Amino acid sequence: MGTETAVTFDANVFSLETVKRALYRCSDQSQFDITSEGGAITVTFSAIDPDGLADKIRNEVLDQDLRDTLSKETANVRTLILANAFSDTGLIR
Amino acid sequence: MPVLGKKFRPPEAFDQAINGYYQLLPSRFVRLDGKRYLLSNDVGEFLVVGRGQLADYIQKKVPKGSDFYHDLKSKCFLVDGDSNVALDLLALKYRTKARRISQFTALHIFVVSLRCDYTCRYCQVSRQTDDKHAFDMSEATADKALGLVFKSPSPTIKIEFQGGEPLLNFSLIRYIVANATAENIRHKKNLQFVITTNLSLLTDEMLSFCSSHGIFLSTSLDGPEQLHNANRPRPGMDGHKLTVEGIKKAQTALGRDKIGALMTTTEKSLPAARAIIDAYLENGLDSIFLRPLSPYGFAVKTRQAYKYDVDRWFEFYKEGLDYILEINRQGHRFVELYTELVVNKLLSPFSTGYVDLQSPSGAGISAIVYNYDGDVYASDEARMLAEMGDKAFRLGNVHDDGYEDIMLSDTLLDMLESTLSESIPMCTDCGFLPYCGTDPVYHHATQGDMVGNKALSGFCGKNMKIFRHVVLLLEDDPEARETLLGWVRP
Ligand code: SF4
Repeated sequence: MGTETAVTFDANVFSLETVKRALYRCSDQSQFDITSEGGAITVTFSAIDPDGLADKIRNEVLDQDLRDTLSKETANVRTLILANAFSDTGLIR
Repeated sequence: MPVLGKKFRPPEAFDQAINGYYQLLPSRFVRLDGKRYLLSNDVGEFLVVGRGQLADYIQKKVPKGSDFYHDLKSKCFLVDGDSNVALDLLALKYRTKARRISQFTALHIFVVSLRCDYTCRYCQVSRQTDDKHAFDMSEATADKALGLVFKSPSPTIKIEFQGGEPLLNFSLIRYIVANATAENIRHKKNLQFVITTNLSLLTDEMLSFCSSHGIFLSTSLDGPEQLHNANRPRPGMDGHKLTVEGIKKAQTALGRDKIGALMTTTEKSLPAARAIIDAYLENGLDSIFLRPLSPYGFAVKTRQAYKYDVDRWFEFYKEGLDYILEINRQGHRFVELYTELVVNKLLSPFSTGYVDLQSPSGAGISAIVYNYDGDVYASDEARMLAEMGDKAFRLGNVHDDGYEDIMLSDTLLDMLESTLSESIPMCTDCGFLPYCGTDPVYHHATQGDMVGNKALSGFCGKNMKIFRHVVLLLEDDPEARETLLGWVRP
């Protein structure tokens, strides 16, 4: 279905995890092959509107990168808040 | 330095902040349109921001003293050297939001009869038979179910009678109302009753019983006569006439606030949003719930996600909501109930009890269904699925299982655990998470597992579209905003 297209990301800038998570959000649009080689992460797919999907993937990867920073930076404080929230409810002993 | 008091910080504190020192607090975001994002935190505070602002925030480049910095700080998206109050505040707010989990099961649905005088095509559960014993709930089953109802820790208990057509077994409704009312003298709960009925069998005697017990009626009105009768065939094709007459009678006998109507959306409804709303107005109803197409039946057979239909349904919803906002602008208060729910989720600190918009799933926690034969299900959809042969969400039977067996059943616990949105791929970092929920039965029916891939999910597709639409209305359309703010409960 459609033309085969590849989008490449610099592995020094984006992690494989970030790219995978971004692709999950696009999984209603196509199926993706991912390879990581020589400092490049390459995503290959077929789509009826390959340019449109390539743009969406790039945007999703940029968003996901921010999301990953946000969740890494706040993981500890989230645990702290939750522990505090349930500290005298009898739910956590 | 107590002399200075808390308001005055040493100069170093400002230097640190100016150098970009602040700590991010847990938050998530989601794209709203080409330019804007919704940034939200666990307790449901949100900001609409541009991409540059979002990146600055996360990369800790927001200049201290800017309006944006102030907004982020006051809504608990960051803490700085000045104050750690935000952490305590967040914990407190989180606790308020989570309170419903410990006060579970407010809605108890009694399926008093599967028999029905209608032959609706989309209905999966009803039976056309005169054999009362096969498909009516017995007093013995009702007794056992009532025993479970009063074990629920919720301070509010709503007992809803459903069918089939529950009025076909009205003697049991009387029995349950009398016994529950008597039992409640001891429990002192806020006890309410609702009968979900097509009204065709409603008699004056039934109405006077409803009136003396404060019973609320909920009926089905699918729109104008032709559409209603096409959706809900009844032998004689007089369903619409009977419903409309029943609504009038009930409004007169019980008061207008004691009768509401729900619609079922079918293919035929999609081009008729305005006509449907007009039918509600003509019948003196002051709200409508523009419900999505039900996936049950079709989806169970094909295991197809319902994405395509979501897009078409959303156009219907948008057209309907536009029209409703116009009606409100003209000074007539008329509410779309799902939008009202979403606006309250966005703007009110109190957790709403709507089953589908909760994490973990509201099934079992907010609602529980006692079927005519005593089987217990986690939601009404779970019961429909069971009638179609899939008993995956059966929690037990009132004759064999006690309260603990049912509430601690593996089925329910697995369902709750796997439906914590906080741990579901895509939901885990979706900005709509604090307002959204999960629907394990829907995802089981459409994708074969309770969690489901949200990118393929009609549930997610629908909610994303509605949330985006409502947030952008609040942002961009001052008149719509004014109406929507009027729907927020104090
Ligand atoms: S179901 Fe969809 S809209 Fe809801 S939280 Fe999950 S990803 Fe967001």
